[in-house]
Amino acid sequence: MQGLGRSLYHLRVRNQDPTTLIGIVLVVLFGYLIAAPIFLLVTDAFVVQFADQGRAGQPMGELTWYYVERVFFSRISMDVFWRPLMHTALISVSAIAIALTVGVPLGWLMSRTDLPAKKWFSTALIVPYMLPSWTFALAWLTLFKNRTTGGSASWMESLGVTPPDWLAYGFLPITLILALHYTPFFILLFGNALRQFDSSLEDAARSIGAKRGTIARKIILPLMLPSLVSASTLIFAKCLGDFGVAYILGVPVGFDVLATSLFRAISTSQTGMSALLALTIVILGSVSIFIDMYLLRQARRFVVIGSKGSMNRTTALRGWRLPAFGFAMSIFLISAFIPLMALLLTTVMKVPGVFALSNFTLDYWIGTDVGTTALKQGILLTPEFWEVTWNTLWIVGSAALGAGFLGLLVGYVVARTEAKSVATFLRQVTFLPYLVPGIAFAAAYLSMFAVPRGPLPALYGTPIILVLAILADQMPFASRAGISGMMQLGRDPEDAARSVGAGFIRRLTSVVVPIQKGALVSGVMLPFISGIKGLSLVVVLAVPGTEVLTTYALRLVDYGYSQASNAVVLMICVIAFGGTMLVQRLTKSNLSDGLGNK
Amino acid sequence: MSSISIRDVRKTYSKSAAPAVDRLNIEIPKSDFLCLLGPSGCGKTTTLRMIAGLEHPTEGKIVVGDRTVVSVDEGIYVPAEDRDMGLVFQNYALWPHMTVAENVEFGLKLRKVPKPERDRIINDTLEKLAIARYRDRLPSQLSGGQQQRVALARMLALKPDVILLDEPLSNLDAKLRLEMRAELKRIHAEMGATIVFVTHDQWEAMTLATTIAVMSEGELQQLGTPDDIYERPANRFVAEFVGNLPINIVELQDNSTNPLSAWVHGMLADIRLTAPAGSVGIRPEHVRLVPVETSPRPATVIDIVPTGGSWIVELSADGEKFFAITPEPPGVAPGEQVGLSVPHESLHIFDAAGSRIEAVLQQTTGGKS
Ligand SMILES: Nc1ncnc2c1ncn2[C@@H]1O[C@H](COP(=O)(O)OP(=O)(O)OP(=O)(O)O)[C@@H](O)[C@H]1O
Ligand SMILES: [Mg+2]
Repeated sequence: MQGLGRSLYHLRVRNQDPTTLIGIVLVVLFGYLIAAPIFLLVTDAFVVQFADQGRAGQPMGELTWYYVERVFFSRISMDVFWRPLMHTALISVSAIAIALTVGVPLGWLMSRTDLPAKKWFSTALIVPYMLPSWTFALAWLTLFKNRTTGGSASWMESLGVTPPDWLAYGFLPITLILALHYTPFFILLFGNALRQFDSSLEDAARSIGAKRGTIARKIILPLMLPSLVSASTLIFAKCLGDFGVAYILGVPVGFDVLATSLFRAISTSQTGMSALLALTIVILGSVSIFIDMYLLRQARRFVVIGSKGSMNRTTALRGWRLPAFGFAMSIFLISAFIPLMALLLTTVMKVPGVFALSNFTLDYWIGTDVGTTALKQGILLTPEFWEVTWNTLWIVGSAALGAGFLGLLVGYVVARTEAKSVATFLRQVTFLPYLVPGIAFAAAYLSMFAVPRGPLPALYGTPIILVLAILADQMPFASRAGISGMMQLGRDPEDAARSVGAGFIRRLTSVVVPIQKGALVSGVMLPFISGIKGLSLVVVLAVPGTEVLTTYALRLVDYGYSQASNAVVLMICVIAFGGTMLVQRLTKSNLSDGLGNK
Repeated sequence: MSSISIRDVRKTYSKSAAPAVDRLNIEIPKSDFLCLLGPSGCGKTTTLRMIAGLEHPTEGKIVVGDRTVVSVDEGIYVPAEDRDMGLVFQNYALWPHMTVAENVEFGLKLRKVPKPERDRIINDTLEKLAIARYRDRLPSQLSGGQQQRVALARMLALKPDVILLDEPLSNLDAKLRLEMRAELKRIHAEMGATIVFVTHDQWEAMTLATTIAVMSEGELQQLGTPDDIYERPANRFVAEFVGNLPINIVELQDNSTNPLSAWVHGMLADIRLTAPAGSVGIRPEHVRLVPVETSPRPATVIDIVPTGGSWIVELSADGEKFFAITPEPPGVAPGEQVGLSVPHESLHIFDAAGSRIEAVLQQTTGGKS
């Protein structure tokens, strides 16, 4: 009898509000949307797939090393894995080297000197990161492509020079573009580290007679190292998963990286092989991110955060002010202004690169007789464009809304539930997509949803798979925002509401959500922006009926309609840039705070 | 108005940790003003939150009025939102997105009080606490003291039977604190609510409470009126915790080679004890300074600190620190010798475990040494 009373008591205590129940629902949901697809990816790589029975010499569904052998050791392994791996490695290392060379001086100029127009630069130099990386690949094509890819002539061609392939495509442009796109990582991370560095440490060293060079080498550098390593590993992880740039600039000349090799395996329906390739990318990405987290934890042990009184001395550049300004300005021009202007100008010129008044036209935007076969009118008059825009807005919009609210719920459960295992699982499972580059995540979604699963029909080909994939892909950020928001909020406001008689729903709607409004706005807006410009995830999952702006732009590239595709890309840039600025304004946050998010 | 009965309550936050509250039994009559007093971390907030329903006991039972709000063995647990108690938090916990008026209105809305009635109550309550001017401000635009009063207003507007206050005055400056203390007393007199008030400030407890519960390490040490607590501390902990100046404790060894304990032993000779004494406490205000010749216990004056109306005399008796407090200038200077004298009836006698021993003064030889 007494035992019964106790059980009843614990039941009542545990169920006084549905937090744990919601937690369990979330566990099931994310188990389904995140853990299961990734798990399937793993199994797909190691069991015989449909249509491979003959080649593997095993019945379907049996455990096999066939794909491992095929990817790593067969005749084709050079083409599908080793060469792309080498390319990826070479590109990442060179991109990191360039980004470091450019970003570190900029980071220092922005944080510790009297560089003119510092404030303006602090936004201007980050622009490349706000926009999709493959935007710059399109700009590159606009300027430098040759007859290897069709369509209208590039600016260089119009000037009468035919760019050689090595300049137009492949390693060089891919590396340069990725380097410039990710240079902001160094500017922000290194700049922030310098900003937090306590000048009194320098003074202390100087006071015992250390020379400037010695100080830089022995004191500043070791303390800055974590930020440099962090930026490098993050860039490596990003380069691993970057699909668009390599697709646009590499594929025309058969230059493959891991992401494009995976894409080819997917588009030729080689399920087992693509699963294994995706898995390899995931493992490489995870290793680099864990190394980064480990190093950051190590670094935190001896971090020297400037105390309130600590001075953050600015170095006077004196005679170097102008050259420094010139340097920063030229980086801005090269990495943002020129590419965007090239894109923009292409859309209003009949013949690219010819600056004669008669050559300018608005036909590609609003004309009615452009003269191309499939796209007879300007992009703004094309119904398909508006359909795709509408698709994008509602697909990405609902994914972002879902991610934002689920993120808040995850935060609520993690902060409140007494079931620690639920909290831990939710925290980890929502972080998982962070380790999985978009293209590999898309592969996982194909494994999961290309066939009917349980009560669900096959979702491939429907917009739902896009919504779910984008939502899941954005969960790392959304749940992190939710968790930190709820942790900061603490229990008190809610406890106070309970004490005046507010039940669970009431507390959630009248207290928690209104207080978390800011976090919620950024938890919805940032996934929205990142979903709008994302390419690698949707390029695998979208089909003609469910196209979004990014895949539409890519298709226009494939058709050779560069003016139209540039126009679409510019629209995406406007949304991405405007959205980012809006969020920063609304939340008074800085892009660097969220750095490392997808 | 409701009584509160706390029976055999224990709370352990995690299996490995020591209980935050243990074997707690407190009966609070209706309309009582009870102060939970104790050092930081002794379980005061935990106790209060268990009464409010924001924490659940691991063992035990709590009855409010004639309603059992929680009983582990009987499987009863009433959630906080259904307990109808007024609670003020240590850090106010105002809702940052609501104005002062909205903060007060929220609970009234939940009780479906009609709008005109709501407005009247809000105005009255804000008037009474002198914060009507700030009704449209957000909490972040208020000073600490103003926020404090909003927190009080939010609770008072609902006219609860039971009011739970967690160190509500701790963040106020001295003057405001005095004002709010008077305010609380007035509210108590006016509403007749049962109040449980948490504090670690003994002076606050002494001046406000009708009953004080002294806690230490999760356990109740003594429950009694402020006078009880001060005059008849149940054990050494209470004796040492309560009192502006620390009580003088003399350890008693059996073979009293220590002159100080020999002196106390001498005094105890006149007293019949119900158990063997382990130590004795002497409050500084009960120590009298007499000419050296008239006392068997000489001491050296180390320092004299005037504290406005009284004088704290720091003494050294055979190397042991000893405090006296005098209502008049002591008339001695540092370095001089004085004699100590203590009336027998003001000795607090504790056994070896530290519990109070009631003493019976022997009629024949009662007096001073
Ligand atoms: N949520 C919690 N989880 C684990 N331990 C807790 C929790 N809350 C309190 N404790 C522990 O329980 C004990 C009693 O805490 P409580 O907050 O009741 O003390 P308190 O008397 O109110 O102290 P203070 O005067 O500092 O407010 C402390 O040892 C504390 O560390
Ligand atoms: Mg407390």
